[in-house]
Amino acid sequence: MHPVLQHLMNTDFADLEGSRVEGTFAVSDDLVNLGLHELIAQLVTAPASAPAAAPAPYDSTPTEKTAAPDPKALLRRVDVEKLQYRTEAGRTILEMACAIKK
Amino acid sequence: MSAFPANLVAAALDNPSAALAGTDLRITLPLTRALLNELLAARPANTPVRELLIDPNARNCFRVFVKAQAPVLGTVSRQILFAPGLPVSFPDQPWLRFDIKDGLGFLDRSLISLLQGMIESKLPKGVELTSNYLRLHVPALMTDLGYQQLVPLVQLLSVKSEANRLILDLHLKAE
Repeated sequence: MHPVLQHLMNTDFADLEGSRVEGTFAVSDDLVNLGLHELIAQLVTAPASAPAAAPAPYDSTPTEKTAAPDPKALLRRVDVEKLQYRTEAGRTILEMACAIKK
Repeated sequence: MSAFPANLVAAALDNPSAALAGTDLRITLPLTRALLNELLAARPANTPVRELLIDPNARNCFRVFVKAQAPVLGTVSRQILFAPGLPVSFPDQPWLRFDIKDGLGFLDRSLISLLQGMIESKLPKGVELTSNYLRLHVPALMTDLGYQQLVPLVQLLSVKSEANRLILDLHLKAE
């Protein structure tokens, strides 16, 4: 894991306090439709059951697992002040105001 | 399953003016001194720069402490005071500039030359350092990162300094 991401996780994302996103996020119908097709394609082609991994030979060496970033750890700190969905001709719109709370 | 399929992201980045038309977002990102120094600590290894630390202050200036191994001179330490310049806006003002207010002078040519060599060999094109300023060509850096198509969306990019943190403001707009 990148040391900066590791630092953010170790400090519970405290260094991002005060971060803010506000405004309009608009997505064209073409992009939404492409996303739908991507989703269907992934559902259709995803293997129903992955082949079982061969059992690893015994190894007494302790292996250090790489901690994956947990999105919930960051989302817990997000203060959603405004989140409104609407559509216009040809696009989908999200009005938002979110901040990382202290 | 990835939350953002690669093709979707590629399509949005391929023509963001069309895919994201109507987007108008203002993003404020405070960068604390601790986070900035973590970022600096993650700089490329094997350079003459031994130490590199930043200290933002409340007077819209920030101090950078650099210790470098210079040929002939040996170890050189300087504290350089930077002041952020005008905001970036595409296409008229592509440079994110930081004026050097104190700490580097005409006699520091060898140190500047050393840092320039490091910038040229380790960093993407678009970073310039002189005895008067450090400036970043934002479109060139975004292009180097693979986000050339997002450049026209940059309405404003500014950096300000407060006590113990830099404030990065970004306004993105796709019309």
